[in-house]
Amino acid sequence: MTKVLMKGNEALGEAAVRAGCVHFFGYPITPQTEVPEYLVKRLPEVGGVFLQAESEVASINMIYGAAGVGVKCLTSSSSPGISLMAEGMSYIAACELPCVIINIMRAGPGLGGILPAQSDYFQATRGHGHGDYQVIVLAPSSVQEAVDLMTLAFELSETYRNPVMVCADGMIGQMMEPVEFDREGRGPPLADNDWALGGADGRERRIVNSLYLTPEDLDAHNRKLKAKYDLIAERERRCDLDAGDEPADLLVVAFGTMARICKSAIDLVRDEGLKVALFRPITLNPFPFSELRAAMDALSERGSVLDVEMSMGQMLYDVRLAAEGSRAIAFYGRAGGVVPSPDDVATQIREALST
Amino acid sequence: MARIEIDEARCKGCGRCVVHCPKGLIEFSTELNERGYRYVIYEGDVEACTGCTMCAVVCPDQGVEVWNHRDKQTFVNTSGLTERMTHYCPGCTHGVIHRITAEVLEELGLLGRTVGIAPVGCSVLAYEYFNIDMFEAAHGRAPAVATGAKRARPECIVFTYQGDGDLASIGGNEILHAANRGEKITVIFINNAIYGMTGGQMAPTTLPGQRTTTSPLGRDVEDTGHPLRVAELLATLATPAYIARGSAHDAKHSITVKKMIKRAFEHQRDGTCFSFVEILSTCPTNWGLSPAESEQWVADEMIPYFPLGVLKEPAAQPAATPQEAQP
Repeated sequence: MTKVLMKGNEALGEAAVRAGCVHFFGYPITPQTEVPEYLVKRLPEVGGVFLQAESEVASINMIYGAAGVGVKCLTSSSSPGISLMAEGMSYIAACELPCVIINIMRAGPGLGGILPAQSDYFQATRGHGHGDYQVIVLAPSSVQEAVDLMTLAFELSETYRNPVMVCADGMIGQMMEPVEFDREGRGPPLADNDWALGGADGRERRIVNSLYLTPEDLDAHNRKLKAKYDLIAERERRCDLDAGDEPADLLVVAFGTMARICKSAIDLVRDEGLKVALFRPITLNPFPFSELRAAMDALSERGSVLDVEMSMGQMLYDVRLAAEGSRAIAFYGRAGGVVPSPDDVATQIREALST
Repeated sequence: MARIEIDEARCKGCGRCVVHCPKGLIEFSTELNERGYRYVIYEGDVEACTGCTMCAVVCPDQGVEVWNHRDKQTFVNTSGLTERMTHYCPGCTHGVIHRITAEVLEELGLLGRTVGIAPVGCSVLAYEYFNIDMFEAAHGRAPAVATGAKRARPECIVFTYQGDGDLASIGGNEILHAANRGEKITVIFINNAIYGMTGGQMAPTTLPGQRTTTSPLGRDVEDTGHPLRVAELLATLATPAYIARGSAHDAKHSITVKKMIKRAFEHQRDGTCFSFVEILSTCPTNWGLSPAESEQWVADEMIPYFPLGVLKEPAAQPAATPQEAQP
């Protein structure tokens, strides 16, 4: 299949259609607005539904309604908008409905800024809304990977009946790169199932509900959800390791855009003879703890870890959990939309290796 | 002769049928039923029963069925409701509005393709009572959920059932925009001028001077604003819609409510427009009144502020109403 040059946000929209999603509900917010602007033109071509909601609160509840009647559906937003979707995500996860949410992260907190950031890692992996629930979080580091992960996102959301977030940043959303789609045209709709609403004619009626007034019933529901999350954690961890010349003396850990910049930085320092490896989580939830630990264990005896993020240190907590104190962990992070350059990171790598 | 049957196990002893029976044939038992309510019995000069069905029409608990003088059953409990007893307080007219909504869906033959959406508030458990596919939505979000469901499955009949805190307060934005977009959904809006489930707090519809737990000296409109007239507000929108307000406080008005709800679902069935029926409803528990006093309070206090009637309706489409099109 031929490659086409596309902006990240538009490629995400097209990837949704190719994955079989033709129902979009969303609200404009920089830097993700090209997703709805692309889909408003694209979805009518495939008989789909595009609706600009009155708010992110409404968008996610429209998703709740559309997912509940059994269609593949998508919303997209950026950090402050995801905060507003938190309530709805809790309901959708509680009711075990499939949907995909794109978050093109921008800098916070508060209104923050519109430039790229990774400061919603906690929000994505730990808690948007209330209650014991989780969403699967996928973090692309290129436009092509964003496209590939959209396909995976719809597959995972359907397999596990769970929301999946594609968590990119303003850099991925805004840049243009050549991409290749793995299929022509619109993908398949959601498979027949025994849970979607649509009228009880000829069958038992169905209820999409997250209210359990009996504590034992709610406890059982939470245990069922936890078992699912455990299964996802067991099966769906994804990551990318560039081990370099083993054993490396430093393991750089980064995701998304930051991982890509770290790769360039590592190419620079490897030319200087430094032995540096790069570990890139692709699933932020489930986090690839065991794979990261194995990469740490493969370091040289005094080898250490450098975690690099476009935040004040959020994935850092998971990196520490993976290390369990076995390795020294340094951190380099910039916020506010400042994107470190490969030279900035190379400087940090040299410093980490000299201490 | 006409007759009725009372299901004493379903009776919550609210006494609405006692008040509304024109022949005075229903009275309270001296016994309690297994749920602890002083149920009603059909006694006395029962040959005077005309089978008028008033008792069944006002019963919030599906507790009465009626046969006419030819022994034909003229009031049958609708298959649109489950047999589950509601959790509503005695004399609360939520049960009446549930029944009317379900009857309309049954009579229009729509039950099998209807998706209902329950709110947060007293009617949060509506999904237990309507015998159809149901969502339970987050507080105030039902019109957005309905929008998603209807846009994804336009062949379905989609309705929300919302109270005044849910729709007029926290969900103000969702209802306004769903109406403004002209979503082809039906909204059943229950206005009882108070927050019921949380125990009687001030609602956006609480009347001036009305005492609630959060307006203990009476609602001060200088401080908290005036009660929202949602039907009027939505009727100002340029988008075509069916907007009506009825009241479930007595049998006569409940019959009008049924006509309004039927019209609303017909508009959705025919794809005409957004449809919205506001219904004034009683809350004896949180108003601190008996069921009979509550009915009077609706008539005396609520209706003057919330006038009844059809506020807006698109011009009749000849194809949509074939019966009327005939000469």
